[in-house]
Amino acid sequence: MAGMLEVRNLSKHYRRDDGTGVHAVDDVSLSVAEGEFVSVIGPSGCGKSTLFSVIGGLVGDYEGDVVVDGQVVRGTHRDIGMVFQEESTFPWRTTLENVAFPLEVAGMPKAEREEMARRFVRLVGLEGFEDRYPSELSGGMKQRTAIARTLAFSPKIMLMDEPFGALDEQTRMLLGDKILQIWRELKQTTLLITHNITEAVQLSDRVVVMSFRPGRIKEIIPIDLPRPRSSEIIATDQFGRYVGAIWQLLREEASRGMVEAENV
Amino acid sequence: MAEVSLERVTESERAGFLTTELRIQIGTILGVWASWEALAQSGLFYRDIVPSSLRVFAAMWRHLTEAEFYHHLGVTSYEVLVGFAIGSIAGIGLGILFGVRRFLGRVMDGYILALAPAPKVVFLPILMVVFGIGVGSKIAMAALSAFFPVVLSTVAGMHLINPTLIRVGKMFNASPWQMVTKVYLPSLVLPVVTGLRLGLGVAIIGTLVAEIKLAKAGLGFLAIQNYELFRIPEMYSVIIIIFALAMGANAIMTKLTDRLTQRGMPKVEVSGAA
Ligand SMILES: Nc1ncnc2c1ncn2[C@@H]1O[C@H](COP(=O)(O)OP(=O)(O)OP(=O)(O)O)[C@@H](O)[C@H]1O
Ligand SMILES: [Mg+2]
Repeated sequence: MAGMLEVRNLSKHYRRDDGTGVHAVDDVSLSVAEGEFVSVIGPSGCGKSTLFSVIGGLVGDYEGDVVVDGQVVRGTHRDIGMVFQEESTFPWRTTLENVAFPLEVAGMPKAEREEMARRFVRLVGLEGFEDRYPSELSGGMKQRTAIARTLAFSPKIMLMDEPFGALDEQTRMLLGDKILQIWRELKQTTLLITHNITEAVQLSDRVVVMSFRPGRIKEIIPIDLPRPRSSEIIATDQFGRYVGAIWQLLREEASRGMVEAENV
Repeated sequence: MAEVSLERVTESERAGFLTTELRIQIGTILGVWASWEALAQSGLFYRDIVPSSLRVFAAMWRHLTEAEFYHHLGVTSYEVLVGFAIGSIAGIGLGILFGVRRFLGRVMDGYILALAPAPKVVFLPILMVVFGIGVGSKIAMAALSAFFPVVLSTVAGMHLINPTLIRVGKMFNASPWQMVTKVYLPSLVLPVVTGLRLGLGVAIIGTLVAEIKLAKAGLGFLAIQNYELFRIPEMYSVIIIIFALAMGANAIMTKLTDRLTQRGMPKVEVSGAA
């Protein structure tokens, strides 16, 4: 069966004006089924964000194909929504106005889009903060605003690039539960980039482990843990074995990254 | 939502009237006035160089009650506003263009940075030749003066726009026009408003300098005419009126700035983005 999202032999070189360049993604192929939750994990700088930018159509000039629902796509696509690694809320918009942004762009009438935005604000647990500006919110709340905004776009495929990268362990654990709850509710096909092995195992149907630059898929590990899961699952033996296996794979790559960083 | 921002404005207005800063400012003016009067009464200077403030106020009253004064005021206001508008629109438009077309921007940067700090008054003879000694050269002077701070701050603002926000707009399939109105312009509000404030200030200076040099009407012309006729109290009164008007213009600009920047755009956030 063809997946909801397929990436076929995707490679991306960044070229600079001075002729040098970076080979960021190398021959990545991946098929994600409808409603599946897949995490991507790999050493820093291995090309994870680049892979997402290419899938989301924000970076061009690559080799290979991105296929959504059987159609090869180029450029941004209605069915793909992204949450960026960097802080991305509009500072001049309140939480509600931020979340309503994609609906406003699509031309939805004001009353209608505000009602819909309110639903997603509630879904990410930000009720009561609708009229606050991002400068008045914590880092985690801003990221939840960004997630709600992309959810309001109602994409079939969610690409989340380390949405909780900058948050403390406890907060990201709780937000991980939140993500699972939303995923169960909306049944979106979801790809999540993370640095956090626990998070990857807790949330995913499969974990994609990437190698150090140029970013290749090193191994794909199916996570056979019962659902629904909550953060309590991390105490089980089986969970620990998955974490151990992924850590083994990552350690080689991470140390290769360290060696390269020292030699530069 | 609109109610919230309106409330914030009134609050800052209320606070703005009774601040310690304002009290000190008023106190300073009163102090300067008292010293002036003491100096005038002491007879240390020739009485026409430091005339009594009473004579200055009498002269001001004469000016303010004659129609001719309002003609001069009207001419100056017209020159400043039209010149400021032309200079600002050109500055914002070209600033956005230089920001989007990076190569053109880098080429133009050299010229703009070289010309920006130069006193624009050196162009005055050329402007007089091209636009005549009437209103035209004053408008040109105001436009030229206002252009530089506005274009500089717009270009700076374009460099500061958060690229992630541009990606957000594109990701949600915003049209080019929506990108301009919903991403670029809101991102530019703060730097552009700062540029406009500086621009209005230098447009007023440029206009008055041009009027003082050579003109047929305007407040600068009136001041210099009073000087040439040795009507010193009248000259001082015009200078005071010019000061008051410039301060008023700046106060209005500040209020507009506050109103525009109120909406969730703390100043620290833009400087932090650099
Ligand atoms: N716009 C760009 N131009 C040139 N090189 C780039 C660009 N974006 C990323 N790179 C380079 O491509 C490589 C992969 O970057 P990318 O951001 O995809 O990594 P990542 O896996 O997301 O890292 P992290 O986990 O730290 O976010 C890096 O070496 C980076 O320097
Ligand atoms: Mg990244």
